[in-house]
Amino acid sequence: MSTNSIKLLAGNSHPGLAELISQRLGVPLSKVGVYQYSNKETSVTIGESIRDEDVYIIQTGYGEHEINDFLMELLILIHACKTASVRRITAVIPNFPYARQDKKDKSRAPITAKLIANLLETAGCDHVITMDLHASQIQGFFHIPVDNLYGEPSVLNYIRTKTDFNNAILVSPDAGGAKRVASLADKLDMNFALIHKERQKANEVSRMLLVGDVAGKSCLLIDDMADTCGTLVKACDTLMDHGAKEVIAIVTHGIFSGSAREKLINSRLSRIVCTNTVPVDLDLDIVDQVDISPTIAEAIRRLHNGESVSYLFTHAPV
Amino acid sequence: MPTNSIKLLAPDVHRGLAELVAKRLGLQLTSSKLKRDPTGEVSFSIGESVRDQDIFIITQIGSGVVNDRVLELLIMINASKTASARRITAIIPNFPYARQDRKDKSRAPITAKLMADMLTTAGCDHVITMDLHASQIQGFFDVPVDNLYAEPSVVRYIKENVNYMDSIIISPDAGGAKRAATLADRLDLNFALIHKERARANEVSRMVLVGDVTDKICIIVDDMADTCGTLAKAAEILLENRAKSVIAIVTHGVLSGRAIENINNSKLDRVVCTNTVPFEEKIKKCPKLAVIDISSVLAESIRRLHNGESISYLFKNYPL
Repeated sequence: MSTNSIKLLAGNSHPGLAELISQRLGVPLSKVGVYQYSNKETSVTIGESIRDEDVYIIQTGYGEHEINDFLMELLILIHACKTASVRRITAVIPNFPYARQDKKDKSRAPITAKLIANLLETAGCDHVITMDLHASQIQGFFHIPVDNLYGEPSVLNYIRTKTDFNNAILVSPDAGGAKRVASLADKLDMNFALIHKERQKANEVSRMLLVGDVAGKSCLLIDDMADTCGTLVKACDTLMDHGAKEVIAIVTHGIFSGSAREKLINSRLSRIVCTNTVPVDLDLDIVDQVDISPTIAEAIRRLHNGESVSYLFTHAPV
Repeated sequence: MPTNSIKLLAPDVHRGLAELVAKRLGLQLTSSKLKRDPTGEVSFSIGESVRDQDIFIITQIGSGVVNDRVLELLIMINASKTASARRITAIIPNFPYARQDRKDKSRAPITAKLMADMLTTAGCDHVITMDLHASQIQGFFDVPVDNLYAEPSVVRYIKENVNYMDSIIISPDAGGAKRAATLADRLDLNFALIHKERARANEVSRMVLVGDVTDKICIIVDDMADTCGTLAKAAEILLENRAKSVIAIVTHGVLSGRAIENINNSKLDRVVCTNTVPFEEKIKKCPKLAVIDISSVLAESIRRLHNGESISYLFKNYPL
């Protein structure tokens, strides 16, 4: 076997995505055993030589009960590769864990995303590929290169082919997401609107305010993630109350934790679309999915070959 | 002299803010000399002992000679380090290169990250800054960063100087929507948004208003005013949409390039900036400019930091 070949290693968090990437690249997944001992410690064995190879470890941040186990798996896999004399280690983390803990906006809060960055580097990681970071600035937490890919081109394709986008308006469910929605609005030549959750006053229920006009429109509610879905469902109600024709939610990271399923069943959303950066096990009719594995596979191929990755910032590979 | 006292250091140029802070704290600025060699190199010496003292270096980094100010700051930090200071805190109200905080273009450096690394390499133990362009920049550092907020000072200014019950808060772009929304909440006002549609080939870019500003006093809020072209255009859009009047309130009034002409020729009634950036010369050329003094906030944060007290009071309140 030649040196410096692509080796794909998958942790336990998202085997489906790893398999799709493997098929796309025409590179079989390397044999890796990742288990937990009875005392819950993680054990990793790599079942073939990876000496002097270009290793890509596919492990997403996910799971209500397993997110820390998967993180530990990733760190131990990185370290295992390091001690096995690989040439380069790239962590492929489609949904970066702890990404929302990216600033010290409350007093004495840790910047845990920064700690994750430090841990990955300490374990021996040389490069990171991730997607739709909650804040692009998280790249600056690292001393190593980070390629933050975008779900946006795939979402654009979905909107153009699967929604009535000529009669649609884009909506951000909060003020923080206005920039993302504005960027999409530019590319689709559409208008956009904004929902603002007014801060709760003593003895008052918090109000959702709509900035902009959505009457008679299909509303495409855009966010980077859907977690408990409380905000999405409330935003949907606000839009319907303001005369929207229908509401479709489109998110990159479909995490759906807690009581998300019940909220979605009872909501007025006609559809919720997410990519496969994390496994989605909701078996609901309203859930639709966008496959981003071609983007990640192409990023790996280009990274390995030393080619530019920037094509992927504006295009979804065919 | 007792150990672990507050020592305030400032470069020789732009000492206005440092002097205000010193006055507020009832201290003198520590004597020091910073000069340029014939080669242009910075030479710095501290004129009194700072051994085992708690050093606060107060800088104002604005437009024009950003890189000179950065090197001066790094050299002052290193001078304090080699002079056996106990702790060195850099007070950088307007953090330089803050807008270069991500790699959103291919192959672009994250220069704000480099700035963070340079400060810690020079020997900095703590940083106090204000209204970072992105809060996440705190995560670029391996030392503690206190990101103070101009918002309480801005709220105070609005309540004292604007008929704010008739007002609406405006963000001049989509990226600032969160800041505008937070301020609107504090004042129990509505807010609206201006979106600059990207120019297509052979078309001039359009600015689109999202929201309703009819008969309102529009208060445009932003973290920085640079050439002020966007602010001037935003004011026109708002008035075309039947706003009553437009003022702008900005934290960092960098005002570089044609900013003064743009403001003078604009339909803005007033442009209010804090003194995180040197400002005195610009006020003379532009009668519409007004200043919010944030030296009290910095002074109080220094006092609290030195005494080991919590700073979080300053996130929501103006110091008494």
